[in-house]
Amino acid sequence: MHHAYIDRFAQGHSPVHRLDARGKLLAVLAYSGVLISFNRYAVSELAAMVVMPLAMLWFGRVPVGFALRRVIILGPFILMLAMISPLYDTSLHPVVLGPWRFAIAGGFLTAADVAVKFALGVLALTAMTCTTPFALLLEAMRKLFMPKLLVMQLGFLYRYIFVLIDEAMRIRRARDFRGAAAAPPGRKLAAAGGVIGSLFVRTLERSERIHVAMGARGYRGEPHSLSRLHFGPGDVVFLIVTVAYLAACRLAYPLIL
Amino acid sequence: MAPILGMHMANELLSVPVAITMLALAAAAVSWATARAAKAADVEKLPVMGVMGAFVFAAQMINFPVLPGTSDHLVGGVLLAILLGPWAALVTMAAILIVQCLLFQDGGLLALGANIINMGGTAVIGWLLYRLILGPPAAARAWRQYLAAWAACLVAVALGATLVSLEAFTSGVLQIPLKDFVAVMVGVHLISGFAEGLITFAVLAFLRRVRPAALGLPVGQFASPGKAQKLSRKAFAASVLATSLLLAAVVSWFASTRPDGLEWSYRDHRYAGSAAAIRNDSPLVALADAWQDKWTVMRDYSRREAPLGQLPPEANKTAAGKSSWPNIDGWGSLAGLLGTAATLGVLYVLARWARRRDDARAAPNETG
Repeated sequence: MHHAYIDRFAQGHSPVHRLDARGKLLAVLAYSGVLISFNRYAVSELAAMVVMPLAMLWFGRVPVGFALRRVIILGPFILMLAMISPLYDTSLHPVVLGPWRFAIAGGFLTAADVAVKFALGVLALTAMTCTTPFALLLEAMRKLFMPKLLVMQLGFLYRYIFVLIDEAMRIRRARDFRGAAAAPPGRKLAAAGGVIGSLFVRTLERSERIHVAMGARGYRGEPHSLSRLHFGPGDVVFLIVTVAYLAACRLAYPLIL
Repeated sequence: MAPILGMHMANELLSVPVAITMLALAAAAVSWATARAAKAADVEKLPVMGVMGAFVFAAQMINFPVLPGTSDHLVGGVLLAILLGPWAALVTMAAILIVQCLLFQDGGLLALGANIINMGGTAVIGWLLYRLILGPPAAARAWRQYLAAWAACLVAVALGATLVSLEAFTSGVLQIPLKDFVAVMVGVHLISGFAEGLITFAVLAFLRRVRPAALGLPVGQFASPGKAQKLSRKAFAASVLATSLLLAAVVSWFASTRPDGLEWSYRDHRYAGSAAAIRNDSPLVALADAWQDKWTVMRDYSRREAPLGQLPPEANKTAAGKSSWPNIDGWGSLAGLLGTAATLGVLYVLARWARRRDDARAAPNETG
């Protein structure tokens, strides 16, 4: 498995890719904050919030279908929770749209609200990670607020996820070839313990090798990086537009009505 | 099982104050843990812990059966705390959750703080319990190791589930009474906590045999290849019994506030308008029904004005309309929707144009 399986669009070229990772990170953070600050019955007020993630995806040349697939894969758990709320919240709320007006239970509005917010949140996050290489995102986090040590850990984590997933698949295949499917439950459990245990031992040895190799290349506890971040005029414009847009979505909506 | 019932908190279930509080708590906990871990271990080696985070990701690919027909996988918090020590484990869990959020969009950006506390913080508490029950590691017998792993995982998972419900309830997005929320979440997660205990023990038993040094045991003393540490039937039976009792306690606690199935369907049918079909005009029934309605409502934690499944009175409806949306105007909201659609259309055309321009600019470079 290639390590850029999930974020394969991040290496592309587009106006959104060229934006500074710090700006994008802050913008998506602000977007998420504004998104969850909407009232839980105000589904229709969320309409204007669709614009930013879609615009980022379109300008970033990320297929919207890819982002929507992420929403569908991750959706079930949150939808299950959201669908509980109609059982409890039966207060009626008027829904008025142009000439149509009808009343609906608040619980259904809340469920729809949670579902829409979830979808928009995932779209915005996907739009960011699909237009920013993970290394630049880490660099941005380090420059903004995150301790160096944690950022380095994240770097290793990202680098080795797919290496170790491949390793786990190999061990799992070996287990399955040896007829684990026919074993009684206790044996199966022991076999799974053995698989994970040997994966742990191999990981331990691998991390020792990596550490020695890093030492050989002059690592003394301080990361060295050639920062590729550049906060230019385009990024200033992007941030100003984002803030104005979010403020408009959040504050000006009652004025339009 | 576990991916569906995963405990990842989502942005949408949190209010801004709760999210920020949890982020601050998590930041404090992680920076403290980093300092502690740096003191305990070789500082140069700490970044390499990230590889251990990748190990947890990979270990989650290994499935195993719990109940017939279902399969579960490791979550890994308690195992990581046992193998790496609690502080390094907390930092690694934070790294795992950040990558899950950014690369896999699992759990929201603002919910990260809540997730780090719910899954990393509780693993540390589980680890404490593990050490308490285990006693000195070198002397621990198999049953003791099993019970320690079982209790640690059960407590960590149940605590995490309780925290999820508490955070969601405090945020007030879902109008679910706290008691119901806790009962359902903890009830469901007790089973996955039990499974987590089983697999954690299986891994520990394997490592004890193969790599005792990883568990802080003297090398050679326990290395007896070919002789696995066997789980005693008694310890296993005791853990199954205790888990079932806990589950039964949670379920009965939950059931005590809910109307039974018959009452529920009766109410549902009344709501659907088929009251005549199942109506019973006996005054005794009416009296009991009124009493039931009254007391069920009063016992409830929620702020709902009418009993479950019953249409609220007319006065209620207009009041709700007035208070929640002050200046409601259907044409304004329609205009808002149309405006959004128009904006999206313009942006889409612009994006197409930018893409074509980019391609045109890139083409000469590729050929030249």
